[in-house]
Amino acid sequence: MNLYINGTGLISAAGSNTDADFLYNVPEYDTNQLLCKEPDYAAFIPAMQLRRMSKAVRMGVAASKICFSQASIEKPDALSIGTAMGCLYDTEQFLKKMVVQNEQQLTPTAFIQSTHNTVAGQIALLCGCNGHNLTYTHRAHSFEHALINAKLYLDDHAGEQVLCGGIDELIEPSRHLMQRAGVYAASNRSAKDVVGTYAQGSVAGEGASFFLLNAAPVKGTLCIKDISVFSTKDKAAAVNNMAQYLNDIAGSIDLVMLGVNGDENSREFYEPLKNGVFAGVPQAAFKQLCGEYATSSAFALGLLSHAVTSGEVPSSVILNNQPKALRRVLIVNHFLHYYSCILVELA
Amino acid sequence: MRQPAYIVNTGIITAIGNDTATCFESLLQCRSGIDKATILQTNWKDDFPVGEIKMSNPDLAALTNTDPTWPRTALLSCVAVQEAWQPFVGKTKGLRVGFFSANTVGGMDLTEGFYKDYLEDNNAGELYQFKNHECGAITELVAAHFQFNDFVTTISTACSSSANSIMLAAQMIASGMIDIAIAGGADSLSRFTLNGFNTLMILDKEPCQPFDQNRRGLNLGEGAGYVVLMNEKAMQQCEADAVCTLSGYANANDAYHQTASSPDGIGNKLAIERAMRKAGVAAGDINYINLHGTGTANNDSSEGKAIEKIFGMNVPCASSTKAYTGHTLGAAGGVEAVFSTLSIQHGVIFPNMRLETAMEDVSWKPTTTLLQDINIRNVLSNSFGFGGNCSSLIFSKC
Repeated sequence: MNLYINGTGLISAAGSNTDADFLYNVPEYDTNQLLCKEPDYAAFIPAMQLRRMSKAVRMGVAASKICFSQASIEKPDALSIGTAMGCLYDTEQFLKKMVVQNEQQLTPTAFIQSTHNTVAGQIALLCGCNGHNLTYTHRAHSFEHALINAKLYLDDHAGEQVLCGGIDELIEPSRHLMQRAGVYAASNRSAKDVVGTYAQGSVAGEGASFFLLNAAPVKGTLCIKDISVFSTKDKAAAVNNMAQYLNDIAGSIDLVMLGVNGDENSREFYEPLKNGVFAGVPQAAFKQLCGEYATSSAFALGLLSHAVTSGEVPSSVILNNQPKALRRVLIVNHFLHYYSCILVELA
Repeated sequence: MRQPAYIVNTGIITAIGNDTATCFESLLQCRSGIDKATILQTNWKDDFPVGEIKMSNPDLAALTNTDPTWPRTALLSCVAVQEAWQPFVGKTKGLRVGFFSANTVGGMDLTEGFYKDYLEDNNAGELYQFKNHECGAITELVAAHFQFNDFVTTISTACSSSANSIMLAAQMIASGMIDIAIAGGADSLSRFTLNGFNTLMILDKEPCQPFDQNRRGLNLGEGAGYVVLMNEKAMQQCEADAVCTLSGYANANDAYHQTASSPDGIGNKLAIERAMRKAGVAAGDINYINLHGTGTANNDSSEGKAIEKIFGMNVPCASSTKAYTGHTLGAAGGVEAVFSTLSIQHGVIFPNMRLETAMEDVSWKPTTTLLQDINIRNVLSNSFGFGGNCSSLIFSKC
């Protein structure tokens, strides 16, 4: 597979990749949720339209506009989006009113915007893209499947550009219910805790990470070479799968980006990777910046793309040693029983 | 080499039957499944008829020996997948099997059941009532039940969802990534969707009349529909016979409005044209169109005009089957893929039920009587949805 990243748009708890100091500062917080630092949308979205948009929609639209601007295009040929939870805010708004008002006097706006394909639909609408348009909602494989879809599309449509993104928004009832389910942490953590310690649950997160992908090489850009996904409830089996995968891709890697999240339930996966499978390999972490959510691997890819453009990996993400180069990097993510690897190389 | 995707079996459950044979018989007999809701608990049950499957969750769970506390969408999905997959169980050693399942409601039926209590006391409710809320969780439950591991995904593009899952399945077979796909989708009725469509004022208070001049809106339905697609290698190993191939598919976006179709059906037309190009068929090669035909003023007009533009004065036999099943949303593309397959297999064209007065703004009219013993070589199936999502599939005789 060869998917070249021609543009990157990120909205995250660490800010947007249009910020001058993006990833420059070491994050400092004491919290159990990391919400996005949203940009001034005036540069991306007309005020009239902005007022009607939920957070998921405005983040997605802005992230797509950043991609278009980087690649100097007005619109892509196709869209492929991954979102595990969809437009949670509007879904909850309509649900709440429906149960509280006993199915009476409801208005359509929240319902209209509650469907999982709203972000992809709104982006297509705003840029006038009549092309292929898909939304994947397969939990923590949603973004990876959107990438696979982009690859299949480009196989049939050489020379075209696909906008591909991972997006999820966090709302309080969802965060709280996932805390009750043991996924998100009840107690506050610091960025240091997230990468260096383990406790019950992870810091909840959200974000929009979009990419403009094409199949034609552009020198100096990142190229997605392989995507591998699997799910298992057996952490030891997951570690073995990773060792096997590293063997399969053969050759050395310059850096591994790990989705370490400070959750006790992930210890059995990440510790054998840090100290065994990837011992001796420069390691970095990313969830201390974006929090834990199902499409966070897209943020990791964005961070990497930004690092390549800016010429350095921010010291705040390094777990052990600075990589000597970024020719070949592996992103390893894990959320609940979903696992994924994204292998990228510098073109 | 790109490999064709053959359709070798189907599985379905809708308001007109719990399996393919029963649904087929209902279509032949013009038996509608639209009726007053008795399972769905809603204040609107006397106002809006629905295409409801008259089985409780425990009764559905008993059909597949699954857990009655699952969301209803997962239970429906399991019934249809079981029918589609049963002939091949134990025969697929060494073959890569993908499960492509779409839905739009996820576990909303359970979430909406406990949410009022939760708003009053955020410790209320049990884990099972919200842990499977995500669309992906529905697919995951069903995949685990049938032990599909090689590739499992969920698509959610509103009413075109399961047409897209079938499209992706065919692409992955074509590219050699998998050998077999079970592809389609499921959706159960929920108060959330019924009330949502009611706010849009597009629900019919009577049984719906797609493509009628005096149509008033749609009836919501529920169900699940899947096709099993295989490459040649898998067909040989499983000793499966092909009913037809999925020869063409395309997905386009109307880019006009979040919920309404453009007056001229721009997205609809693009999807149909691109699917025909992919299949290598001309307008004159299409023998039957299974319409999206929801029964809303907007959809039928846009779809009618898009078809008129492509087929001119020679529109083939066409019908919407939503007057039988209701609009099953995320399941519709899967359900209608099963009906399209049946059309080719048995050489029949199902009548567009309850059509009394032809639409004035389109020049053609759907078929209103059952046609049998016809050599049907190519069927076009349309699925259009919110977000401008428009998908068309073409099924061709082998």
